[in-house]
Amino acid sequence: MLQTTSAPAVNRPNSVAVGTIVWLGSEVMFFAGLFAIYFTLKTSLPAVWASSVEHLNVPYALTNTIVLVLSSFTCQFGVFAAERLQPQSTGWKPSEWGMVRWFFVTYAMGAVFVTGQVFEYANLVSEGIAINSSAYGSAFYLTTGFHALHVTGGLIAFLLTIGRAFAVRTFGHREATTAIVVSYYWHFVDVVWIALFVVIYVLK
Amino acid sequence: MRANVYFFWFISAYAFLADVVYTIWNLFFAGTTNGGGGGRVEPIGTVCLLLTAVMALFIGFYVNRSRLGQGGVLPEDRPDASIDDGDPELGFFSPYSWWPILLAASAALGFLGFVIGIWVAFIGGAIAIVALVGWVYEYYRGFFAR
Repeated sequence: MLQTTSAPAVNRPNSVAVGTIVWLGSEVMFFAGLFAIYFTLKTSLPAVWASSVEHLNVPYALTNTIVLVLSSFTCQFGVFAAERLQPQSTGWKPSEWGMVRWFFVTYAMGAVFVTGQVFEYANLVSEGIAINSSAYGSAFYLTTGFHALHVTGGLIAFLLTIGRAFAVRTFGHREATTAIVVSYYWHFVDVVWIALFVVIYVLK
Repeated sequence: MRANVYFFWFISAYAFLADVVYTIWNLFFAGTTNGGGGGRVEPIGTVCLLLTAVMALFIGFYVNRSRLGQGGVLPEDRPDASIDDGDPELGFFSPYSWWPILLAASAALGFLGFVIGIWVAFIGGAIAIVALVGWVYEYYRGFFAR
């Protein structure tokens, strides 16, 4: 009796993408620790919180948040271009933009966000909230600071991804995978910021 | 793959259940002695157990999306598959690389800089840039350029 010679071809899950997701799962737990620090200090010292949150500029932070959220969309359009294996733009219309241009736009928006954070920090320090001034300062700068470091790491990753698009003669699936996993990271950092924004600026 | 997805969903459900039990226990049953929460939410356990559930749900969701997108059952999940059915290109794996060692050395210099003087960290930063770029473009230049 003859056996079937082979199983049908399937799309094997991309090991780079699955690995990135598992690593982002560990990043969830990293930020879980930071959220735990924040909530513990908040419940222990409600008076410090009440006097400190008055210094927060919520409309300013909201504007910054909107920039970061929109950058996730431009990043995703860049991924769509990468999935078309199209690194460079073929026209002026956004539907003809390549991955490189979308990622440069995303980079610029992420850089605006980090710059905005720097000015916000400078403003808060001038109003007396520093990392060593109170428990609120420690919690605020640890949570938002580690997030800003993640955004900065994402910016470097975008530059390296763009560099890879220029390094190859033909943009292939391996380069597209790079773009996709960087976008996973960027969306993750964006979602973490939304949670931080709600906790720090909305719930106060 | 289906079993993998169920594992992650089980971990997620378990962590969420543990979170609910932990929070209720702190609110109503724990005393202020012996480190108990004393009738209030203890934030560390509540936050971290909730995000443990989120972590497992997140990975499970992605693995499930991969499973639905693969358009069939993987050979390793089929009792009637042969060994060589499971021998496609799994991906690209670097045979060896020196760059991670250089990157780790730069990180070591960075932390050493916090101890003996911040100028050491700047040297570490410069080496980190070289090591990172070298690692990322290792298979994009020279013999491997394509």
